[in-house]
Amino acid sequence: MRRSLLFVLLALLPLGLIAAAEVPPALDIPTTEAPTAAPQSLDAERVKRGNAVYDRYCISCHGVEGDGRGYSAPWLDPAPRDFTRGVFKWRSTPSGSLPTNEDLMRTLTVGLFHTNMPSWGVLGERNLRDVVEYLKTFSPAWKEQAPAAPIQIPAEPTNDAVSREKGGEVWTRLACASCHGATGKGDGPSGSTLVDDWGHKILPHDFTRGHYLKCGDRSEDLYRVFMTGMSGTPMPSYAESLSPAEAWSLVHYVQSLVHEEP
Amino acid sequence: MFLAAPFRGVISAVALVLAPALAHALPAFARKTGLACSSCHEVWPRLNDFGQSFRDRGFRLEGGRDAPIEQPGSYWPLAMRTTVGYQWLRQALVATDGGTTTTQTGAFGFTGLDVLSGGTLANKVSYLVTYTPGLTGAGFSQGPQDGDLESAFVGIHDIGGSSWANLRVGKHAIDLPIDEHRSLTLTQGYNVYHFHPQGSAVTYEPGENQTGVEWYGHSDYSRLRYSISVSNENGAPLSGHWVSTPAVWAHLQGTQYVDNDLLAAVTAGVFGMSGWHPTAFQVLTPTEGTAAPVLGTGSSFKAYRRMGAELHLTFLSIVFPLTASAVAFTGSDDAGLIQSGVRDGQFVGGFGELTYTPSLRWTGIVRYEQIRNTQAGSDAAPLATGNLNALTAAIRHTVEMTSRTELAVHLEVSRSAALAADGTAPSTVTGLAGFDFAF
Ligand code: HEC
Ligand code: HEC
Repeated sequence: MRRSLLFVLLALLPLGLIAAAEVPPALDIPTTEAPTAAPQSLDAERVKRGNAVYDRYCISCHGVEGDGRGYSAPWLDPAPRDFTRGVFKWRSTPSGSLPTNEDLMRTLTVGLFHTNMPSWGVLGERNLRDVVEYLKTFSPAWKEQAPAAPIQIPAEPTNDAVSREKGGEVWTRLACASCHGATGKGDGPSGSTLVDDWGHKILPHDFTRGHYLKCGDRSEDLYRVFMTGMSGTPMPSYAESLSPAEAWSLVHYVQSLVHEEP
Repeated sequence: MFLAAPFRGVISAVALVLAPALAHALPAFARKTGLACSSCHEVWPRLNDFGQSFRDRGFRLEGGRDAPIEQPGSYWPLAMRTTVGYQWLRQALVATDGGTTTTQTGAFGFTGLDVLSGGTLANKVSYLVTYTPGLTGAGFSQGPQDGDLESAFVGIHDIGGSSWANLRVGKHAIDLPIDEHRSLTLTQGYNVYHFHPQGSAVTYEPGENQTGVEWYGHSDYSRLRYSISVSNENGAPLSGHWVSTPAVWAHLQGTQYVDNDLLAAVTAGVFGMSGWHPTAFQVLTPTEGTAAPVLGTGSSFKAYRRMGAELHLTFLSIVFPLTASAVAFTGSDDAGLIQSGVRDGQFVGGFGELTYTPSLRWTGIVRYEQIRNTQAGSDAAPLATGNLNALTAAIRHTVEMTSRTELAVHLEVSRSAALAADGTAPSTVTGLAGFDFAF
């Protein structure tokens, strides 16, 4: 039995280290990424490794060519992203620009709620950074456009009745209800006729069913959506028509539309 | 009370050849999620970390679409698996009237059939049922397999909102360093999961699914996980306890990813179990016949224990890994559990395994396993009786692995030999070539 004790001790050693070392990657939206003038060249090593990650985990939906036509795609709703156009919904960057690496990392770690795109956090930071680099090979946009600077998100003011009321006025002024419906149920008059850039029917977000956005459920995530829009969808950016204070009020108003917990 | 079990090690080794442990790989999960099989399986049926996490979370992706009501009405969570092909078997030192001989069979056939259904019953409730019918032609015409539910459990997950608290109730797999149900070899399993000291009455084998409850937990990405199973000893006569013939298994396992071109991940773990088996029963003697124990009267419990440790090094990348695994295992059964036992029966065993999956199409595996008795419980047979060596090598070519079906061409050879009481070591050489498929 003494030998077995030795075995156990040997195994406990690395285990102790492991227990101490598990930290989830911190992937907050950076607000200070420096703007770069020229398009960035790709890291060839990462691209190569990312190709392997993509082949194993992503092909079934996003397709060999990255065009969103994987073999599972025909029966998925919403449809998997077509990466060949270089159009992304979840960005911290202004409407029409490419997302930052951290934006893509966040999409991959958080996953897209209530779609078939799961969280890939299990794969660990190295593999995710590799596949992010590989995604950029699918569209010439990454060779042509320089990454834009993320928008500034000022600190959240107090969420009180005054702020919510002001947000309600903004909601009416900007006619969010025309798509999202008067009560935020996603049943506005033009809501049922919408299509995205790929011609897929798309429904406006239903705010009453819990506070989950597709990607993240923090107040900043909501703020970011109004100010950057969701490229490729009818959901516009309101950066031009909203002051930061108004945008925060709108966040508080939209949060108050929730009726049930998910 | 004792089964004639002097060669239980030998018997279980042969039984494995005849009834390879097939099981869990559910194309039904892929059909439900749209994920490729390769997302969860390094190579089917071996799980990778994403698959382990999916399993730990109770067959959930936790993206709001896990509940059954999220699925189209036509979705039916059913999968089946079998292997068809040719198996060649040569056994040395087989007894005949004219002395020992070497036998040889070459049989076309199939291994068996697993009918699996698994998934979610509600948002945080999972289930799995595995049915392995007793088919006459199973095991390459070596005879019927057990017709039983191999697994049947309901899992309740994230109790109190914590991934560290989950419960499975029913017949479930014991959390092992490498799960035999997802073994990449078909002619040999992991003998050490089935080994008993010579002459022991114990029937608990961690390689067999046990009926009981499993309490387990894991960190967000299952890098750290633990499991505690309390079960009845599978196959033992029910005793007078409130949990008859109780057995407790515990396993703790941790993984660390490394940002490195050579080494990608390190996994280490420890496990141990203790079980209590009755050594006395009240008996009932029929008018004609011999005395039989009365179930539910067992007493004079004696303990048996297993424990060990594991280390797995994943080289290159977790995507296309080269994995070296070493598992050490020790066992000790109380003298009172051994036929004519005078001291505890003890053994030390383990295996080393190298698995390489350079692409989604190819996987190779080599495993060497060795078990040695270190203390004979009785003086009836020499200490070395039952000592076992097994060497297995296989190549698997994945032909099709989508979100619908899986098809692989499998080639394998293995040789195992266990020492008999007379000092000889009858060996079994097995070759297998076949199609392994699931849908
Ligand atoms: C089971 C199907 C499936 C798999 C597998 C899958 N995705 Fe997705 N993915 C989707 C769907 C569906 C969407 C679009 C959701 C939407 O637009 O609402 C999506 C969207 C995305 C987006 C778009 C984000 C944006 O801002 O527009 C990225 C990036 C992405 N996936 C990366 C990946 C990577 C990398 C992998 C492999 C590690 C992967 N996906 C695997 C289904 C999948
Ligand atoms: C022209 C129609 C339209 C208008 C007007 C509109 N939206 Fe949207 N919105 C959409 C659609 C469509 C989606 C769903 C996009 C998707 O899921 O890919 C959406 C999604 C959203 C989301 C969810 C983002 C996520 O991550 O899931 C938020 C928040 C949102 N809209 C807020 C607003 C607010 C606030 C306004 C008014 C200032 C507004 N929208 C105006 C069409 C519209």
